[in-house]
Amino acid sequence: MKTKIFLDEEEMPKRWYNILADLPSPMDPPLNPQTKKPVGPDDLAVIFPMELIRQEMSPDRFIDIPEEVRDVLRLWRPSPLYRARRLEQALKTPAKIYYKWEGVSPAGSHKPNTSVPQAYYNMKEGVERIATETGAGQWGSALAFATMLYDIECTIYMVRASYTQKPYRKSMMQVWGAECIPSPSTKTNAGRAMLEKDPDTPGSLGVAISEAVEDAATHKNTHYSLGSVLNHVCLHQTIMGLECREQLASVESYPDVVIGCVGGGSNFAGISFPFAGDKLTGKHPEVEILGVEPASCPTLTKGLYAYDFGDEAGLTPIMKMYTLGHDFIPPSIHAGGLRYHGDSPIVSKLVHDGVMRAVSYHQTEVFDAAQTFARSEGIIVAPETSHAVKAAIDEALKCRKTGEAKTILFNASGHGNFDMSAYDAYYAGKLVDYEYPDALIREALSRLPKVP
Amino acid sequence: MMLTIGFLVNPIAGMGGAVGLKGTDGLISEAIRRGAEPEAGKRALAALRPLRGLPLRFLSCSGGMGEDILRSAGFTGFDVVYQAPDVTSADDTRSACMLFESRGADLILFCGGDGTARDVYDTVLDRVPVLGIPAGVKMYSAVFALTPEAAAEIVHHLVSTPPLLREAEIVDVDEEAYRHGELRTRLHGYVRSPCQPGLMQDTKQVWEDQDEEKAKEGIGKFLAEVIRGTPEFLYLLGPGSTTRAIARELGVDKTLLGFDAVKEGTLIASDLNEEGMLGILSGETPCRLVISIIGAQGSVLGRGTRQVSPTVLRMIGTENVIVVATPHKLSETPLLFFDTGDRELDAAFGKSVSVISGYHIAQRKRIGRISSGN
Repeated sequence: MKTKIFLDEEEMPKRWYNILADLPSPMDPPLNPQTKKPVGPDDLAVIFPMELIRQEMSPDRFIDIPEEVRDVLRLWRPSPLYRARRLEQALKTPAKIYYKWEGVSPAGSHKPNTSVPQAYYNMKEGVERIATETGAGQWGSALAFATMLYDIECTIYMVRASYTQKPYRKSMMQVWGAECIPSPSTKTNAGRAMLEKDPDTPGSLGVAISEAVEDAATHKNTHYSLGSVLNHVCLHQTIMGLECREQLASVESYPDVVIGCVGGGSNFAGISFPFAGDKLTGKHPEVEILGVEPASCPTLTKGLYAYDFGDEAGLTPIMKMYTLGHDFIPPSIHAGGLRYHGDSPIVSKLVHDGVMRAVSYHQTEVFDAAQTFARSEGIIVAPETSHAVKAAIDEALKCRKTGEAKTILFNASGHGNFDMSAYDAYYAGKLVDYEYPDALIREALSRLPKVP
Repeated sequence: MMLTIGFLVNPIAGMGGAVGLKGTDGLISEAIRRGAEPEAGKRALAALRPLRGLPLRFLSCSGGMGEDILRSAGFTGFDVVYQAPDVTSADDTRSACMLFESRGADLILFCGGDGTARDVYDTVLDRVPVLGIPAGVKMYSAVFALTPEAAAEIVHHLVSTPPLLREAEIVDVDEEAYRHGELRTRLHGYVRSPCQPGLMQDTKQVWEDQDEEKAKEGIGKFLAEVIRGTPEFLYLLGPGSTTRAIARELGVDKTLLGFDAVKEGTLIASDLNEEGMLGILSGETPCRLVISIIGAQGSVLGRGTRQVSPTVLRMIGTENVIVVATPHKLSETPLLFFDTGDRELDAAFGKSVSVISGYHIAQRKRIGRISSGN
């Protein structure tokens, strides 16, 4: 029995899967923050290349992956699918656990799956510089790598809490030639306003997005790039789920449960959309799809499904999504990549419509799970990924109780080699189990998050 | 930077504990009869030795109340500002502190227990920062360093970096009750005490820990919104500066050490005892209790909050208890304790509790079990 299931390079998907084509009802459109009217391609052309705007709104079920992009992706794709037999034995579960290992990419996570095509399309339009934000540094390092390939300058606003916690992520960005700035910074109006409000703020993805968008909008040669949330980002990440489906088919299997951690939603979307498509089209109506988020930032489990800004300063289009309010600053957990107040509008809609569901966990228990995983499978995963590991372990333990031999697939989205300070804090007993007191927040006079 | 330290030792602190007396107040003769030997001097010495060579100016007391220990630790050139008698008492601690303050002490470093801390507080209140070297039988006040060596390390940091001060509770312990196996404490007041979050915590926590006042403001703002948003509830705000921050947001003048009742953002009653609470609770209005952690031991109900009797708590309902605490306080207390005096009630709080620690943020904390109770 195989431990690793590989695909040949030639078997790497040639098309991304666009779940918009299979949604039973249309998405609520994103709105222009000024006019409050649906956003058109022209609204986005200031900060995005036209091909990405087309993909963002495309009704086509499949979209071709350019050969030049596939050529770069071949550096690490197709990524291996592992059967976690040692974890199964450790848990004494009859469940079959598979995990997609995305830690093999140059940046160590799934993020280059979209940074490469995004940089590619910007290069094709002659863009000289890209500004972006990064939470835990995974996205920033992935975009630094991709822009280097296409000789594009790159400026990255890194959430201050992570900038301090994960200095080596910043070093990676420098190796690949990018500039990394702690956010909030004094370089933008959005950053200065935040610093004035709270000089000691740990920052947030919402603030960093505001800074990067402002940077792009105020520099003619500069575009903006987002590592999650948006439809085209989720689209690029579907290469993971598409590969998984082929890899599982090669061992005559199909998952009963598909699991991914959720911050902005692209990693979860990437692993799950092809399976969600099977569910929506009736091919596999029984497949269960589970998003896992931190209890400190429980967007899908405790947020409000409503229109809200994607960033703190209100510069981005207003999107219909689950949100904790764009002014919510999540506490500084180690899974910095999951500290986002909103979520992918498609993921939000699928959760709202009951196609997917979500759970949340505290910080300490996900590190317990990551330790169990490391001590059975050997791999030390990123704090973000450990959320998916925790949910997979819980599903497998349920199987131990019921005796069911379910097939569980989860996305091991990145390695934790630059997160050892988080593990140190775990072993020192210093992890704080933050949570979102939603019942009291709903009672507060400010009541629900301030949505436009 | 030259730091002026007012240094004093309560020579008899801790003697009672060594001979099973659970405290020394009023029992020094009995302690000596039982063979107790002074311990405080040794602990003070352990704190002073690592400080040699630092730019420190000491103000102290004569003999065993300071001078002897400073000399043993190798210090010279300090000022003996208070002449202590052979047998010292609380009055001597107070007199020395008064002189330390008038001579411009930047910090009062004392060695003793809760009783000594109380005497220091009664004299300087929160005007001079205070740090305790632990030597007493009971140290439930939050002013003490973990060990004498930790006290030395904190002083080291004070010399090299601007002081980071936090409020520390001084609690009274009823020694007579304590000797009979019952811990009965009462919040006595707050001093300002140096802390070094960077010394013991990772970088992540430092963000939240840097400003206690900001954390209190966040808690105050959040809970004030909740109180205004739920006019159907009457709120009992417990003692402490964190709950007082809520009252401040509401524009209400709350007592620091008592239980005050608030309805629709208006003060209804102040400094309620058990009887007063029962009177208020006998109406139809549903009630919530907002309470913070008292002392350095993670006590939520029980220590210092005896007004909230099991009867009162049953009328409120354990589901209507809202616990608040700053991140720094929570980082010092891995376990929280509910010691209502009624095991069934204690158990009703479950295994963990959500503690409001900032604006729209809470922390999940484990609840420890205490063996006392009925």
